[in-house]
Amino acid sequence: MRLAIVLLAVLPLAAQDIKMPANLDKLAAKASEVVDVSLDGALLQLASRFLSEKDPDEANVKRLIAGLKGVYVKSFEFEDRDGYKESDVEEFRAQLRAPAWSRIVGTRSKKNGDNSEVYVKTEGGQISGLAIIVTEPKELTVVSIVGSIRPEDIRDLGGHLGIPKLDNVVPKSDKKDKKEDN
Amino acid sequence: MRSIPVLAAALLLGSGAARAADREFTEVVRAISDEFHTRPQSIPLFGLVNVFTAAIHPAGTRHIDLAVFEHLSSHDREGRNLPESILNAVGRSWKPFVQVRSHKNGHEETVLVYMRQEGKEWKLLATAVERDEATVVQLLLNAEALARWMASPEHCARHWNGDVTE
Repeated sequence: MRLAIVLLAVLPLAAQDIKMPANLDKLAAKASEVVDVSLDGALLQLASRFLSEKDPDEANVKRLIAGLKGVYVKSFEFEDRDGYKESDVEEFRAQLRAPAWSRIVGTRSKKNGDNSEVYVKTEGGQISGLAIIVTEPKELTVVSIVGSIRPEDIRDLGGHLGIPKLDNVVPKSDKKDKKEDN
Repeated sequence: MRSIPVLAAALLLGSGAARAADREFTEVVRAISDEFHTRPQSIPLFGLVNVFTAAIHPAGTRHIDLAVFEHLSSHDREGRNLPESILNAVGRSWKPFVQVRSHKNGHEETVLVYMRQEGKEWKLLATAVERDEATVVQLLLNAEALARWMASPEHCARHWNGDVTE
C-alpha cells in the first residue's frame, strides 16, 4: 500500500478537543489529489437503518456505526515524496496528548517509510474519540471519526465510510474475545 | 457523449418522487454556465426519460434533473474559483458529503457531492467538472442508494458520472 494515511477520531465539533490543523488544508494546494468525505451523525444513523442485516459485511458496518456520531475523511496524494512534511502531521499529533488521549498502536517502517499510529480518547471508561495516523511517503489521508467504538472494531471500519483499509495498520482482532464481548 | 452513462449511473444510484429541480441545482448550472460562457447540452428526449421514470420507476427513480456541459474550453473561462462558486450556489442547506479534486497525469477533475434531508428523504446534488466537460445531477436517494453512498462515498463520487471504469 503506497499510501500515507492519517486517521483521526474526535468528538463532535461543539465538543471537539482536537482540530484539523490549518496546514492540512494548505496541503490541498500541493496535492495531486484530494478526497474529502463528511458523514455526520444524521447521515450515519440513517445509513445504519438501511444497511442490510442479511449481508454480513453490511451488518458488520451497521453494528460498527451504531455508536458513531461522525466520520470525516481527508486524503492527500502527492506527486513527489516531499509533498508534505512531518511537521504537518506533528501539529495534529501534538493535540493527542495524555491523559485524555493514549496511543494504542504505533508502527514505523524504515524500509518503505510507512508509519501508523492509533490513538483513543476515553471518557468515563468509554472510548469517545479515536485517532489513527498512518503516513506514507507520497500520500496522506485524514479521517476524523466521532463517537464510541471498540478498539478491536477499528480494523473492521477500514474500507467503509470512506475510511481506507486498515489491514496493515491495525492487528486483526481476536474473534473469540469479540464473540464473548457480544 | 457522457449523457447516457451519466443517466444510467444516476438512475442506478438514486430514486425518489417526481418534483422540480431545486433552486440550488439551477444555481449550480448557472455557475458553470457563467464560468464557461456556455449552456448545458440539450439531451434529446430527456423529457421522455422523466415520463418513463415517472411511470416505470427504474431503480426506484421517478424524477431526475441532469445538466451536461461538453466541449468546455479553458479559453472561454471567466477565471473564477469554480468550486467556490458552486459552494456558494449550493448554500448552507446542503451538507458537503464528498469532494474529490484531482489533477493527475494531465487529467483534471473536481467532484462535489452534497446531501440534504427533506423530511424522510435525502436529496443528492452532485457536480463533476473536468477540463472539457461538466455534469450536474440532482436526485432523491432511495434506501439502497443511500446505503451504497454511505458505505463507499469516495467510490460512488468517483463513479457516479459513469466515465470511469471499474
